[in-house]
Amino acid sequence: MDINTKQLRKNAFRVTKNRGMTALRIRVPGGNLEVKYFDVIKKVAENFGNGRVHITTRQGFEVPGIPMEKIPEVNRMIAPILDGIETAVGVEIPDLNSGYPAAGTRNVSACIGNSVCPFANLNSGEVALKIEKLIYPNDYHVKIAVTGCPNDCIKAHMQDIGIIGMALPVYDSYRCIGCGACVKNCRRVATGALSISNYKVKRDHRRCIGCGECILKCPTSAWTREDKYYRLVIMGRTGKKNPRIAQTFLEWVAEEAVMKVIANMYQYIDNHIDRSLPKEHVGYIVDRTGYPVFRQEVLLGVDLGQLGRVAESINFGGYFYERTNIFG
Amino acid sequence: MGFEFTMDSFNKVLEDISKNFIFYAPRRIPGKGAFSDTDVVVYQEVEGFGQIELDEKSRFSPKEVINPITQTLFYFNENGYTEPETNNKGIIIFCRPCDANSFKRLDEIFLNNGPFKDSYYESLRRKVKIFVIECVQGFENCFCVSMGTNRFDDYDAFIRVAEDRITCDVKDNLLPAFVKHGISAEMRPDFISENAVKVAIPDQVNKTIFTHEMWREYSERCIACGRCTVVCPTCTCFTMQDIFYEDNHKCGERRRVWASCMIDGFTEVAGGHDFRPDKGMRMRFKAMHKIYDFRKRFGYNMCVGCGRCDDVCPEYISFSNCINKVSALSREVNG
Amino acid sequence: MSNPYSSFKASILSVKPQTDIDYTFRLATDLKVSSGQFVEVSIPRVGEAPISVSDFGEGWIEMTIRRAGKLTDVIHEMIQGKHLYIRGPYGNGFPMDKFKGKNLIIAAGGTGLAPVKSIISSFNQGITGIKDLTLLAGFKTPADVLFRDEISKWHENIQIEITVDNDDTGNWPGGTGLITGLIEQMDIANLEQTEVIIVGPPVMIKFSYLEFIKKGIRKENVWVSFERKMCCGIGKCGHCKIDGTYVCLEGPVFNYAKAEQLVD
Ligand SMILES: Cc1cc2nc3c(=O)[nH]c(=O)nc-3n(C[C@H](O)[C@H](O)[C@H](O)COP(=O)(O)OP(=O)(O)OC[C@H]3O[C@@H](n4cnc5c(N)ncnc54)[C@H](O)[C@@H]3O)c2cc1C
Ligand code: SF4
Ligand code: SF4
Ligand code: SF4
Ligand code: SF4
Ligand code: SF4
Ligand code: FES
Repeated sequence: MDINTKQLRKNAFRVTKNRGMTALRIRVPGGNLEVKYFDVIKKVAENFGNGRVHITTRQGFEVPGIPMEKIPEVNRMIAPILDGIETAVGVEIPDLNSGYPAAGTRNVSACIGNSVCPFANLNSGEVALKIEKLIYPNDYHVKIAVTGCPNDCIKAHMQDIGIIGMALPVYDSYRCIGCGACVKNCRRVATGALSISNYKVKRDHRRCIGCGECILKCPTSAWTREDKYYRLVIMGRTGKKNPRIAQTFLEWVAEEAVMKVIANMYQYIDNHIDRSLPKEHVGYIVDRTGYPVFRQEVLLGVDLGQLGRVAESINFGGYFYERTNIFG
Repeated sequence: MGFEFTMDSFNKVLEDISKNFIFYAPRRIPGKGAFSDTDVVVYQEVEGFGQIELDEKSRFSPKEVINPITQTLFYFNENGYTEPETNNKGIIIFCRPCDANSFKRLDEIFLNNGPFKDSYYESLRRKVKIFVIECVQGFENCFCVSMGTNRFDDYDAFIRVAEDRITCDVKDNLLPAFVKHGISAEMRPDFISENAVKVAIPDQVNKTIFTHEMWREYSERCIACGRCTVVCPTCTCFTMQDIFYEDNHKCGERRRVWASCMIDGFTEVAGGHDFRPDKGMRMRFKAMHKIYDFRKRFGYNMCVGCGRCDDVCPEYISFSNCINKVSALSREVNG
Repeated sequence: MSNPYSSFKASILSVKPQTDIDYTFRLATDLKVSSGQFVEVSIPRVGEAPISVSDFGEGWIEMTIRRAGKLTDVIHEMIQGKHLYIRGPYGNGFPMDKFKGKNLIIAAGGTGLAPVKSIISSFNQGITGIKDLTLLAGFKTPADVLFRDEISKWHENIQIEITVDNDDTGNWPGGTGLITGLIEQMDIANLEQTEVIIVGPPVMIKFSYLEFIKKGIRKENVWVSFERKMCCGIGKCGHCKIDGTYVCLEGPVFNYAKAEQLVD
């Protein structure tokens, strides 16, 4: 059998432990899927795979047990998925019948967002689709996820780029009855950014994380939302070297800024990636260039707006298997 | 007298009378709902009929037009105090029949309860004219028919909106503007005669019911958030507060803000004693006010059946269902 | 339209500490009050609170105020010559007409003595028409005893029993124990001709009442004064409402037959 594994991987199939057998990864950007595609996935699994799917941590489907020679047929079969999910949001797919054009940048995952969740400050799925359009297809190994609030149900903190929805609470003191629900709740579930003075509420913006809990708790709508804002956390990862959770890079920035930073990051990768390696994960590139270079390059042309803030420096921390813990 | 208008000609009426009146009506405020990407419908100033939200019940009631959430009573300076200035413009409130009936309830407390009239309320209230918007279907949770508040005859104008035509029945002194821009038309107000939700109001409520264990359910379920009372068109409770300005400690004000018998602190006195600490007791207290003890005092029920308390309770506590439970119990107790 | 929330200035004629935390303030005013009524006292920018009129006379009223929080703390800093703002009087006081020709027993717990002090003073001046007056008063410790100077004078005309829950000084001349003990020991001669006032904390009211009932007093002859959370004092704010009753309007003094119907 003569298979170009590089092309196979780029086509969203993988080399598995069973020789000659592959598995297909189906992207579900935002983790939000119209059920009609289940029929397609089912057909692939039944006709070409082993009748099962694995639901991935990134909210895609992995269809295992496919003989490598069936790849062209599988690709033709999944054309409706590419068309309905990818081209529908504006992703350019060169040939719908040839399967996925790239697999380096992973599925953009998202929490369920404000279509269901009361806490969500944004429609995470929609934002994921916008990002999908922006970055797919792309070979660079990048993981991105979008979450509606700092509860971070999607684990944005484990991504290269984690996007967290923020609400800027605006206060109408006229509508406030001083019930204290917002103050208590902010202290209980968030950061204690609120206090009562003169029977009305004060918000310490530097402590506020934009979770929106105060808005949710207010009986009189004294707290309401102004434009949507985002926190961007970066370079969280698992892996065999220095696993760590992502750290805040930007906060209180608008969606355009987020999109521009992501686009710039691909340019940054392009500028610095070590091409001698089969692949280099963006986090390790940042380890090499240092945060200041990253910051400078990804912020090119980015409008941070009035409230936007950038981390001066970041201590990524995390741990090192061989160094952090000493075993007796 | 009846008139018919197009949207445009009706807006001309409003434009004419806007010299002497400010209009308040339910208005959709995009993005200002508690959940992201949702709206809130609240009574606010409007300029034209097009700004009025007709398809959704307002979350908050029109009471805030004449019973402001925060209202300054006195301004203090070193020499004494002054009262806030008031403006002379009349107020026209566009509202549904249930809400139109709520003003009478507010009047009982602010004007008729005890020997004193609340001058702040009175000065706003006397400027109010009520434009009733006809209800054809009602909304979710409405039970105005059970409360007898589906009807309101004491309107200044009654408005029917059908397709893009507005028909009105208008009373007396607003007539000239209506005559000028409208076409005379036959108009007989109609009121809704059935709601999906029906509530039986108990005649007799005795101490057995006050102390009955049915209230315990609410001790567990209610979170004392007060939403049910702040949205209620007939709740009037408030607390007075004195403050001094942070930039000038010599000056300050005395104001009042809405209070709620469901929220902690309402009955708490010096030393920390709370007369009604339990949420089940509070639920009983609120419910009895709405459908029993106000009636003992003023001869009719306080609740106007707008259903807003049911609309907003985050714990899905249904006030109307609670009243039905009280009624069933009272039939049991009183035979 | 007159503004029912307007208060007027009243200058402080004297300040007399009763205990560490209870001071009596005498204000110059022509306000006509009756025993058991209250006024709304305020200091602009600090707050307003309902306070019982503890005594009154030509051109003055007296209030005995306990340091309990924001406003009362600041009032305690006030000295003679300064002024407070007041409005009122509000509420229904004690039914003084009903007491004419009768024997009156007052059972007072702690600061509950304040709203009835004026009854005792005027009895001493012989202007109430009350036939005979007995005062039973209970305080936590000897240091909490209010109106010591007055009490020593009252002794001349009325029967007074004072008890403390706990004599932490070791040289308290009076009795110790709960006020209910005093009631238990009482010999009430003419039940039909006796009226009873109970003032104090809710628990004290309840148990004292039960003792009087044991003695054969009828509930219709028992009067209590309720302290509830109050704000406006005039039937608008809703804080004082119990069931359908506004304590600021129908109270604070209630006949027990009515009071026992009120479920918080
Ligand atoms: C009819 C009536 C008569 C009273 N007579 C007297 C009196 O003769 N002498 C006296 O010392 N006190 C009296 N009080 C109690 C007095 O009103 C409170 O102690 C006072 O309001 C506390 O105010 P503040 O600003 O100092 O305390 P804040 O700082 O306002 O409050 C301290 C605590 O007192 C509570 N409180 C607030 N308002 C009241 C209120 N109206 N009643 C009770 N607690 C309240 C608060 O909830 C808080 O827990 C009377 C109360 C009533 C209702
Ligand atoms: S948004 Fe969250 S952190 Fe900020 S004030 Fe509100 S509750 Fe507190
Ligand atoms: S929850 Fe709303 S009404 Fe209550 S204190 Fe906060 S802002 Fe004021
Ligand atoms: S109690 Fe509920 S249904 Fe009745 S008037 Fe108030 S909000 Fe409306
Ligand atoms: S239900 Fe409660 S908040 Fe509403 S008017 Fe009655 S006492 Fe006041
Ligand atoms: S809205 Fe519901 S949970 Fe909140 S106070 Fe009212 S009954 Fe309780
Ligand atoms: S104190 Fe406000 S209603 Fe009684």
